[in-house]
Amino acid sequence: MSAHETLPRPRSAAGGGDSPPRAPRGTGFRLFGRFRFGYLSPAVLVVAVLLYLPFLWTVYLSMTRYDGLGSPVFTGLENYTRLLDDPAMLTSIRNTLLWVLGTTVLPVGLGLLVAVLSYDIRGGGWYRLPFLLPYAMSGAGLGLVWGFILQPDGVANKVLGFLGMPGGETAFLNDGPENTLAMIVVWTWQQLGVNMLLFVVGLQSIPRAPIEAARLDGASGWRLFRHVIWPLMRPLTTVVVGLALVASLKTFDIVWVMTQGGPGRTSETLAVTMYRDVFVADEYGYGSAIAVLLTTVTGLSSYAYMRRQTRREDF
Amino acid sequence: MSAPRAAGTLRRAVLVALGLLWLFPTYLIVANALRPADGYRPDDAVRPPTDFALLANIGEVWERTDLEQGLLSSLLYSLVSPALAVLVGALAAYAIVVLRLRHGFAWFMLIFGGTIFPLQMLLVPLFVGYSRFGLYDGRLGMVLVYTAINVPLAALVMRNFFGGIAISVFEAARMDGASTFGIFWRIHLPLSWTALAAVFVLEFTFVWNDLLFGLTLTQSETVRPAMTELAALTTDVYAGTPVPVALAAGLVVSVPTVALFLLTQRLFTRGLTLTQV
Repeated sequence: MSAHETLPRPRSAAGGGDSPPRAPRGTGFRLFGRFRFGYLSPAVLVVAVLLYLPFLWTVYLSMTRYDGLGSPVFTGLENYTRLLDDPAMLTSIRNTLLWVLGTTVLPVGLGLLVAVLSYDIRGGGWYRLPFLLPYAMSGAGLGLVWGFILQPDGVANKVLGFLGMPGGETAFLNDGPENTLAMIVVWTWQQLGVNMLLFVVGLQSIPRAPIEAARLDGASGWRLFRHVIWPLMRPLTTVVVGLALVASLKTFDIVWVMTQGGPGRTSETLAVTMYRDVFVADEYGYGSAIAVLLTTVTGLSSYAYMRRQTRREDF
Repeated sequence: MSAPRAAGTLRRAVLVALGLLWLFPTYLIVANALRPADGYRPDDAVRPPTDFALLANIGEVWERTDLEQGLLSSLLYSLVSPALAVLVGALAAYAIVVLRLRHGFAWFMLIFGGTIFPLQMLLVPLFVGYSRFGLYDGRLGMVLVYTAINVPLAALVMRNFFGGIAISVFEAARMDGASTFGIFWRIHLPLSWTALAAVFVLEFTFVWNDLLFGLTLTQSETVRPAMTELAALTTDVYAGTPVPVALAAGLVVSVPTVALFLLTQRLFTRGLTLTQV
């Protein structure tokens, strides 16, 4: 049977003339039937025109001076050398690093903790519910509702005062890098749920046999987790941390809504700096250079991370 | 056996403590969205609400903002773009997996590669290009960009799913005289509806929650999505919005995604085969 090698030919030529065609074929689809590329072309077209073309255009614009009017003036690597001694870039890079550190450790770590504590106890779903509720909120919604908690006269300070802790009048969002740290806490509150969910699915699908065998041998609690469950969870953890890493480098929504990168650019991330330089300062070329930098950093760190992880699993 | 039982109690205690900590902000949001906007005092934020003013607060949101317009626009983008993306992605997957297009894997990588770079790479060219071609601040432009962004994920999942449908299904239908498109439309699409629905839900949520393109590609209240309206509530445009009104707006905007997830969560255990590339 080599029928499939000649599959996409018109029906009239398909083998077996004795069975009458069931459904008449619409002539409008004949073109599609004959040319397999017809099925592929819509996807290739939208991706090429709306994703690849803008990508290349941004790379070009990053080497120009352009304010949106007239046409871009080619300036070579000027924007990139300017990046090096822009004080706003330093803050932006520091904050982005804080986001990367904070969001790959806190939501992932706590998500793993809750998943491991709850996956095999009765009513585990109910224990997990409080962590899932915040996930329903978008970045924009999150910024809106937490703004009121973190205001100087907001609930966070009331609670600190009530517990007799220092810092009862902290303006959480007013100074850097404290404002970034406060927003990382908010982000942890929202993101724990989805990480937990990924780990629960992973825990439910790991083989039961090694766990039962270890239990029979008397392993329980931390030792069971450390020596049996954790090794089985490693590949999944790699993926979850990788996803958090890539997402954290692009942090935008929550910062834009809570502080707009301010006050005084103290809480900007790379994505916010890029947005501000383009759409507030009309520096299209410079903003494009930041976008290219962001893309390079994202690409390099995902590559380095995956390399490291796969190598570690070799031995 | 009291050691395991003690461990179990400890586990529950930790879970409950963390859970209460996590519920507290949720409680604050809901409780203060219920309070009357007039005479709201920050000092009362923690107290349980005594009135039910949520509907009045939502009415106030309607009056102060264009959020209802935004919700309609968001609904349009979140329904149309993922539907188109899923269809376009499934067609491509069909060509690659079932019709065995030559260099299929290279074509797939080309499509899937579209998701690799950060969306920030698209902003300037789309803004400039859309302005030039009259797509800026238009619904068509928003639908187009959201469709393009969502095609790669749809192609990935559908490629995996179609790979699980035996090629003999296609051959048998072929023998019976079905057209190539007829087989796609009447056999492969219906067989994979769980995967289609799962991708649709994920992409709906992405489009609904997206803020970036609403900020950069729209301007007028009839085109702006809800998230952009919501973001505007915190910036100086609507400064002086009472806390309960702002919180009510935050809740309203979250309703569609919550409802969708609750209705469809079972899909995710069946529909997605993300990991077997």
